[in-house]
Amino acid sequence: MTSNSQIPAIKRFGSGLGTTLLCLGTVAFILPFLFTVVTSLRTAADVAKSPLGFPHSLTLSNFTGVFSQIHYGRSALNTLLITVLSCLCITILGSLASYPLARITQGWSTAMYRLFILGTSVPVFVVVAPLYLLMRDLNLLDSYTGLIIIYTAVNLPVAVFFYTSFIRSIPVDLEEAAALDGCGAFRTFFVIILPLLRPVTSTLLTFISLQIWNDLLVPLVFLQDPDKRTVMVNAYSFIDPHTVQPTTLFPAALLGVLPLFLIFIFLQRYVVAGMSAGAVKS
Amino acid sequence: MAAFLLPAIVVYGVFMLYPLAKGVYLSFTDSLGGPVSNFVGVDQYKAMADQPDVGDALWHTVLYAAVVVVVQNAIGLLFANMLFRRPKVRKVLSVVLLTPTLISPVMAAFIWSYLFAPTGGINALLGTLGLGSLEHIWLGDPSTALYSVATVNIWMFAGYSCAIFLASYMNLPTELLDAAAVDGASGWRRFRSIEWPLLAPALTVNVTLSLIGSLKVFEFPLVLTNGGPAGATDTLTLLVYRNVFGGGKFAFGVAISVLLLVTVVVLSSATSSLLRLRERRV
Repeated sequence: MTSNSQIPAIKRFGSGLGTTLLCLGTVAFILPFLFTVVTSLRTAADVAKSPLGFPHSLTLSNFTGVFSQIHYGRSALNTLLITVLSCLCITILGSLASYPLARITQGWSTAMYRLFILGTSVPVFVVVAPLYLLMRDLNLLDSYTGLIIIYTAVNLPVAVFFYTSFIRSIPVDLEEAAALDGCGAFRTFFVIILPLLRPVTSTLLTFISLQIWNDLLVPLVFLQDPDKRTVMVNAYSFIDPHTVQPTTLFPAALLGVLPLFLIFIFLQRYVVAGMSAGAVKS
Repeated sequence: MAAFLLPAIVVYGVFMLYPLAKGVYLSFTDSLGGPVSNFVGVDQYKAMADQPDVGDALWHTVLYAAVVVVVQNAIGLLFANMLFRRPKVRKVLSVVLLTPTLISPVMAAFIWSYLFAPTGGINALLGTLGLGSLEHIWLGDPSTALYSVATVNIWMFAGYSCAIFLASYMNLPTELLDAAAVDGASGWRRFRSIEWPLLAPALTVNVTLSLIGSLKVFEFPLVLTNGGPAGATDTLTLLVYRNVFGGGKFAFGVAISVLLLVTVVVLSSATSSLLRLRERRV
């Protein structure tokens, strides 16, 4: 390393300038979001007068209006229920399936693993029409059960990918010792493997809960009863962005993301790790 | 232990693989979604070739994906590069850059539909800055509509690309970077000959993820333009949705979904094998 005195002042100035530019760039980047927050707190008349102005007085009335317009209380609970139950199913089925996939090294298990991984690149759009017919024939249209099954099937490939690569990195010694002590595969999984999966599960859950909470297509297609609808479906059906004022659009947008934001503020560490997990896994 | 696989295989097989196969079969029939259908060979695909909308939608989808992949990753890489050199602000800013990723696509489309509106945020900002001549009907002009929709996509996920690049930056061997700095290599040369080759795996992940994500884009064009003006932002997903659930042309819509699958599989496997080949040469 060169000593500090040798670094010319001009270079240090350049680096300070770079940091300032970087901060400005980041602020510019999230400016639309900040603008959304500020505008959602202004009155419609105030916004119409000067769209970019600062608020003269703050009001929450936009939020209460939108709250009832998209039946927020009901739809948020519906979405929460669907998201939580789907995440639970994906976690259980995914981790259970990944244990043999990671530990059995025979031809069929590799083939099975490949079959699951294949699913990571199939867009839901490709299966949505035949899936609709299947759900209709099984009487699962317009039901949470149907939705949860679909989300489980669609997200299992990602879960299997995450869990299998994680279990492969756990040494087998513990399991061998447990087997010597007469511990069956079922108990070994629940007592030894499952507790070790906690970090990878949080990573997986941030990833999947985001997708399910934010999804529009599946609830739009598979739910019909207005009382069962999710936040995104209600927002999409009750608010036409082309005829509506920002004082309706923006509070709706913020209400839509609020629950996840609150949860993720507490889980920030896992969110960042989860988001960038792709790079480590490659 | 192999029995652990059973629940996952049943759900994945019945609700993912079976619909996938059924979809391919249905695309060779004249099904209307009801119980009766006749095998019609490649008629739906011939009809597709005769309809310019489908070719146009395919072109929009590919162009959209190309724009998103290049610009989103360029912005992500630029931010990652600057953040890597500035450890003091790195953590805070990378979390801030990730916030748009947490917003749901429907909500992001709400925010931007106001920003893009003729009397909306962007035009108001241009007017205030004295750049009134640049004001534009962003979503209403066929020549800018698709790029405007892509902008929203890029805004949402550039922070995600940045997180993946940054995670890869943090794993670079410090000795190598220090050695280059001591040798007096300029910033650009250090990037070009050391960092860029070593970031190859992160580039592969980023390009593959953004490519698959943008080829199956749905909510952005649906909410922002619904395919308009004059079909300028019609994507394959919008055509699938309209034909399958809009009535009358079920099998045709399913055939378009198969075209979407082929597009995703061909483009993503071609790109990822090219990028992996490049990784090995580095």
